[in-house]
Amino acid sequence: MATDIQISIVGSAGDGTIAAGEILRNALAGMGYKVISFDVYPPEIRGFGKCIARMRITTEQAYSLKHKSDVMVSLDDSHAIPHAGELRDCGALIYEQGSIVRLPEGGHMSAHVGPGQLPYPVPIRELSEKSTGANRSRNIVVLGFIAGLFNLPVEGFRKAIGKKFKSKAAAAEASEAAFKAGLDYAAKTFKLDDVVFGPPVSTVVAGATVEMINGNAAIVRGALDAGIDTFFGYPITPATSIMERLASEMPRRGGRLLQTEDEISAISAVIGAGFAGARAATSTSGPGLSLMAEMLGMGVIGEVPSVVFVSQRGGPSTGMPTKTEQSDLHMAVYGGHGDAPRIVIAPTNVDGCYRCGGKAFELAEVYQTPVIVLIDLYLSNRYETVVFPARPPFEADLNRKPGKAAAGAPYKRYALGGDDVSPRAIPGDKGGMHVVTGLEHNELGRPNDSAELHTAMSRKRHEKLKLALNHPDFTKFKRFGDEGPVDVGVISWGSNFGECLEAMLKARGEGIRCAAMKVVMLSPFPTDGVAAFMADCKEVLVPELNYQGQFANLLQAHVARPVTRLARVPGEPMKVEEILEEIRRLAGKKAAQKAA
Amino acid sequence: MANAKNARHHIVIGSGVAGSQAAETLREREPDARVTILTLSSLLFYNRYDLPKVFRGHRDWREFLAFPAEYYKDYRIEVRRCSRVAGVDGSRRSITLEHKEEIRFDTLLVASGGRGYIPEELVEFRPLMHPFASYTEAVTAASVVPDRGHVIMLGGDMIGLDLARTLIDTRHRVTLVAGPQTFWPHEVTDDERPGLIAALENMGVEVVEGADAGGIASIEQGAKGLSARRVLFKDGTELYGDVVMPFFGLSPSVEFMLGSGTDIERGLLVNPALRTTGEGIYAAGDVCQIWSDAEKRYRFFYGWKNVRAMGDLAARNITGGDEPWVPAQDEQLHISDDGKIQSPFWEYE
Repeated sequence: MATDIQISIVGSAGDGTIAAGEILRNALAGMGYKVISFDVYPPEIRGFGKCIARMRITTEQAYSLKHKSDVMVSLDDSHAIPHAGELRDCGALIYEQGSIVRLPEGGHMSAHVGPGQLPYPVPIRELSEKSTGANRSRNIVVLGFIAGLFNLPVEGFRKAIGKKFKSKAAAAEASEAAFKAGLDYAAKTFKLDDVVFGPPVSTVVAGATVEMINGNAAIVRGALDAGIDTFFGYPITPATSIMERLASEMPRRGGRLLQTEDEISAISAVIGAGFAGARAATSTSGPGLSLMAEMLGMGVIGEVPSVVFVSQRGGPSTGMPTKTEQSDLHMAVYGGHGDAPRIVIAPTNVDGCYRCGGKAFELAEVYQTPVIVLIDLYLSNRYETVVFPARPPFEADLNRKPGKAAAGAPYKRYALGGDDVSPRAIPGDKGGMHVVTGLEHNELGRPNDSAELHTAMSRKRHEKLKLALNHPDFTKFKRFGDEGPVDVGVISWGSNFGECLEAMLKARGEGIRCAAMKVVMLSPFPTDGVAAFMADCKEVLVPELNYQGQFANLLQAHVARPVTRLARVPGEPMKVEEILEEIRRLAGKKAAQKAA
Repeated sequence: MANAKNARHHIVIGSGVAGSQAAETLREREPDARVTILTLSSLLFYNRYDLPKVFRGHRDWREFLAFPAEYYKDYRIEVRRCSRVAGVDGSRRSITLEHKEEIRFDTLLVASGGRGYIPEELVEFRPLMHPFASYTEAVTAASVVPDRGHVIMLGGDMIGLDLARTLIDTRHRVTLVAGPQTFWPHEVTDDERPGLIAALENMGVEVVEGADAGGIASIEQGAKGLSARRVLFKDGTELYGDVVMPFFGLSPSVEFMLGSGTDIERGLLVNPALRTTGEGIYAAGDVCQIWSDAEKRYRFFYGWKNVRAMGDLAARNITGGDEPWVPAQDEQLHISDDGKIQSPFWEYE
C-alpha cells in the first residue's frame, strides 16, 4: 500500500514545534519512508511568533508539499486556528483538550474543526505535567500520541529522540516519559480518521547512503565532497547554517573557514583564495549579494574561480528574512556594473543542492569565473530523503595548467583564441608570473583599455561561459511528462519546480497533455534546449515566486515567444492547486480555440 | 449566506435525533439565525438505532452518518464535537464549556439525551462490561466478540433486545439476565411478562431470571481456557460469555444544567410546549420530562419517532410557535400472531 501522508505541527515559538517536526521526520525517515519537510518560523529570535513544521511522508517519490495535510497538530490554538482549513476531510486534528485560561468564543480549536475532519482532543499539557513535572514536553507527548494513533514503530521515535537530546540526559529522560504518556493515551483513543501508514519501501542501491537532510546541509556536503579548501562568510538568514556546518566540518578535513567582518570582505577573500588556487566559497542572501556585486565583477574580469551560495528570502532591503522568495534572479544573473557574465545555477530539490554544491567548484575552475548557486529559504530549510552515491560525483583539480612556454616568451594569462579559456597559472608556478587587476587588460594582464582589446576580452569572457552548457555530468535542464507536442508546458526553476512537477503530473492524470521543464542553468542560458521544448508547447506557463516574473523575463530575453506568467509573492511555497488550476485554464483555452 | 448581524444564536446541546432535527427545523424557520450544535461525540449525527449493524460487519463510521459533512455546510449548522458543557448560566444566557470557553446564546435547546444507566451494585464492575450507547462502544464490543460468540446481556432494555435480534440473526449466542429493566421503557405488567419472556426464548434468547438466581454477585475475568467473562450469581451459579453488555435503560444527562435556573427532577421539567422554567431554554428527547395534563404528572417519552418529533416541536416553538406536545407513536409492546415481539421503539426511518 502506497503511503502519502502530510503532517503539520503548528505552535508558537517556544512550544518545541520545530523540534517535534525534526524528531518526527528523522524517525519516519529512519523507518524507511521518503520525507519532504519544510518549516516556517518567525523572524524574531525570541518571542511568540508562529512556527509550523510540515512534512510529507511517502513511499513513492514526491516533489513538493501538499496543499492539504492529512494530520494536523495544534500546540497553540491561536496560531493553529487559521490553518484548520488546511486539513483534509477525514484527516486527524489533534489539539489541546483543555485550557488554563478563560477563552472567548471561538478561542478553542474545537470551534474550528470542519464537519468533515476528525477531532482528537488530547490533554497534552496534563500528560506532560504528570509524566515530567512540567509542561515543556507537550511536543513530545504529541509525538507519542502520533506514534500510538498511527501504529508507528516506537523504536524509530526513541532513536530520534535520543539523537535530539544526546547531550542532555535530563531532557532525554523527560522526553522518554512524555513520549510514553502520549503513547498510552493513544492506546485509549478510538481511531476514526482514515490515515494509514503502509510499510516503507526501500529503494537504496548497494553502497549508497540515505540521509534526511535539508538544502543548506546538502550544499555543504556537496562542497565538502568537491574538496572545498577555504570558506569566508558573514551570517545571514537563511544561509547561515551553510557557514555553521562548514565551520564544524572543515577544520577536521584540513580546510579553513573565517567569519569576516562583512560580505564585501568575504567575497574579496574568496576571490583572493581562488586566485591562489584554492577551491573557495562564501554564502549569503540577497542583501549580502548586493554588497558582493562589485567584487563579483572583479572575479569576472580577473577570471578567478569563486563560488557564492545564495539563499534568497523576501525582499527588498531587510524584507522578510524568514519567508521564501525567488526575487534575486535578476541580481544573480545581471547584478553589478559593466558586462559581467557569470555562471548561475539553481537546483530544484535537496539532491540538486548536493550536486550543484559540488559542481559549482568544477564550473568555477574549468571556466575561470564566479559561480552563483541560487537557492531560497524554501530549499535551504526543506528536508528531503536523499540517496547519496557511494562515490562523490565531482572531479578534483580541473584547472587548465599552462604548458611550457617558448623560451623567453612571456606567460599570457588572458591569451585570446582557442576556446576562450586561457591556461591559468597559480601564483608560485614556475614561469607563470602575471598581473591580475580590476582594470581591463591585455593578454598578459597588463592594463590596457584599447577599443579592440576591450571588445576582444569582453567577447572572451562571454563566449567561454557558453562552454559550460556542455559541462559533463551536469543537468542544465530536463523535461518531464508527455513527449512530443503538448497543450501546456510548464517551465520553472529553483525550489518552485517541485510544485510545478506535481501540478503537471496531476494535470496529466486528468487527461491534459502537458509537460514540465526545469531549468537549472540560468546563466549561460540553455536557449536551444528550452526553445525546443517551448516549440512543443501550445501554451507555456511560467510559475515563480517573485512579483516581476524575473525568470519569465530571462526566458523571453532568450526565446522570443509569449508565455503565461504565474508570479506570486506569498512568502511561502506556491500551491500545487494554483498551478494546476492555471494549467487547466490554459488547456481549456486551447480546447476552446480548437472547438472554435 | 452569512448570518445577519443581529441574527439570533440558537444553541442545541446534543447531536442525536432530537438535536439534529431541531437544528434543521431552526435553520429552515429562521434562515438568518446562527445555529450551533454542541456535542460530546467525535462524530456527526448518526442513528443509534443502526448500531447493531456493527455485528453484521459494518464498521466504517461513514456508513452510519445520517448526513454527509456537506449537509452541515449547506445548512450552515455549526457542529462543535468533543465539546463538554460544564455549565449553563440562564440569567446571562451563556454556556461554559469544560475547556473554559464561554458561548452566548439567545435560545438554548437541551437535547443531550441519556447515558446508559448502571445499577449502583454493578458500578464497580463497569470496566468489565461493554456498553453499547455509541458508535465507538458498539465497534469495540463487536471487535471482541468472536464469530458465533456468546453475549451476556444484563437488564435487557429495548435497545439491548433490538441488538439481541441481530445477534441471534448473526448466529451469536445471547443470554439475557432479566430484571426489572427488561423491556424498558415499556411498562410491562406482571401478567404480561411471562408471555414476553417466552417470546424472547422463542426468538432464540436464553433467559435467566436474575432475581431467581439471587441477583448478580460479581462480574469477573473469565478463567484461562474459558470465555473472557464470568458472571457470578448470589446463589452460586455462574455464566461464562465473551462479553457482558449492560442494558438497563437510560439516565438523562442533565448534570451540567444544575445551577442554570431550570427545574430538574430526573430530567429537565418542561411544559407541553417543551419550555423549561429557564427563560429561552427548551428541552427535547430523552432528557426531558413533559407535563401531561391528562396524567397530571411529568413523564418521559421515548422512541425514535417521539424524540424526533420533540426536536421538531421545540425548534418550532423557539421560532415563534406555541404548540403542545402530542406523542408521535404509541408505547405498547405487542406479540404478533407468529409469537414475535413487536415494539414501536424498534421502528425508525
